[in-house]
Amino acid sequence: MRRQFSLYLRLISIQLRSQMQFRASFWTDVMTTGLLNFSYFFSTYLVLQRFGSIAGWTIAEMAFLYGMIEISFGAMDMIFSGFDPDSFSRFIRQGLLDQVLLRPVSVAVQVFGSAFVLRRLGRITQGALVLAFALINLPVHWTPLKLGLLPVMWVSQIMAMGALFMVGSTLTFWTVQRVEAINILTYGGVEVMSYPMTIYPRWMRGFFTYLIPFIFLNYYPALFILGKPDPLGLPAFTPFLAPLVGGAMLFLASRFWRLGLSHYQSTGT
Amino acid sequence: MRLFLHLVKLSILEQATYRTALVAGLATNFFWGLFRAAVIVALYNGRSEVNGLTLEGAITYIAVGQAMIAFLSLFGTFELMATVYSGSIASDLIRPTPLFFLWMARDLGHSLVNLVIRGVLLLGVFALFYPIALPETPLGWGWTALSLIIGWLVSYAWRFLVNLAAFWTPDARGIGRGAFALSQLASGFIIPLRLYPEWFSHLCYLTPFPAMFNTGMEVFLGALSGGQLVRALGVQLIWFLGLVLLSQWILRAGIRRLVIQGG
Repeated sequence: MRRQFSLYLRLISIQLRSQMQFRASFWTDVMTTGLLNFSYFFSTYLVLQRFGSIAGWTIAEMAFLYGMIEISFGAMDMIFSGFDPDSFSRFIRQGLLDQVLLRPVSVAVQVFGSAFVLRRLGRITQGALVLAFALINLPVHWTPLKLGLLPVMWVSQIMAMGALFMVGSTLTFWTVQRVEAINILTYGGVEVMSYPMTIYPRWMRGFFTYLIPFIFLNYYPALFILGKPDPLGLPAFTPFLAPLVGGAMLFLASRFWRLGLSHYQSTGT
Repeated sequence: MRLFLHLVKLSILEQATYRTALVAGLATNFFWGLFRAAVIVALYNGRSEVNGLTLEGAITYIAVGQAMIAFLSLFGTFELMATVYSGSIASDLIRPTPLFFLWMARDLGHSLVNLVIRGVLLLGVFALFYPIALPETPLGWGWTALSLIIGWLVSYAWRFLVNLAAFWTPDARGIGRGAFALSQLASGFIIPLRLYPEWFSHLCYLTPFPAMFNTGMEVFLGALSGGQLVRALGVQLIWFLGLVLLSQWILRAGIRRLVIQGG
């Protein structure tokens, strides 16, 4: 276990060094990634100047939802870079996974170590700035429980979204080509979770409650931290389900990953 | 012209080969359409009209935006810059067709396939979930078609221009990502321009981006008539010509610096 972890760190440090070779190029990339992601929040900000609020959520409250999920997704997108279905499908298509399988190290560790896209820092930074804007402008009555919930939310969201990346990559064991529909859950999931869940039609909310339980990851913890009443009337412990949901999703995804791996047939190039 | 049409045909055939990708793209655009429509409904919150845009009109605007993503390549294109980096632009420059028309033909073929499959089909399915406001008269359809065609031309010229950055920098991809984020925001694709505060929408109207999409949608929804309509189409056309002139001038400067490694 320790050996695997130190190996992982070695692989990541190689990644980081190679990405930092072109400094100027790297920082422009970080900047443009950050600005690009920020343009979505900026447009929400502008629109709320005209409308005032959305489903009873002010701009600062919206900033909390948005900033939170952005820092989680950005961090996930960095840690789980190797499992990004877009890059992992290349592993499969080019038969690179054969090499990986031959080495006497866990496949997951090698895939985790195969990429660490540092320019996602841009996305994390803009998310953190928006979150800071929210926390400065919101009259939150902080308690130890609320403070503790923040990092728990963060980690839970990383686990849940990482699980979806893993599932997307695992699917390519069968399809070889990347499955674009998974984007609806990953990139789409981020957008879905950055709005109060009550705005969606019933069937869509049902989908994101029972099938892919996004509702417990961002919306419910946010309700609790911001001290907003729960319009859906779920039990009082609901805001604390995030770690359970994140853990369960990651567990199921890793089982699915193992299943997929055992079904792997090389493209034979 | 015959050559141009032939290139378009080739590009249509190429794009039509990737059927699963087309369907997957359709599903993704469709989902985003439903999501954005939900946001609009929540924003309107019972209001029937905001700044001259009805709820039905705003939902239609969103749906058509999703339907046109692939037709107008709203997320941008990066193929031309890739040929600068790989050096295959050399063989394109030797051809008798100017680079601008060569890529226009390639682009048009892809766009037409996407217009039919990801455009019309998406609107059809979307209409089952939300009411869609279509142009009411044949003349309305005609003006819409004209405005969308010029919108496509503006979008193409803008993307051509952005790709030329590859002549100067190895980071054209990053520049492109930034430029296309800007055009998405200011073209009305993310949110109809009428729903922004006045100061911001006026800022947008100073750029060529509304001519890509917002103008076409205003015509689609019948918000413009008479002199306003003619003026709007004229502005679109001027932006197109402006972008063409600018890109030709920059292209000439770029080619002069271009060095291609043999091999």
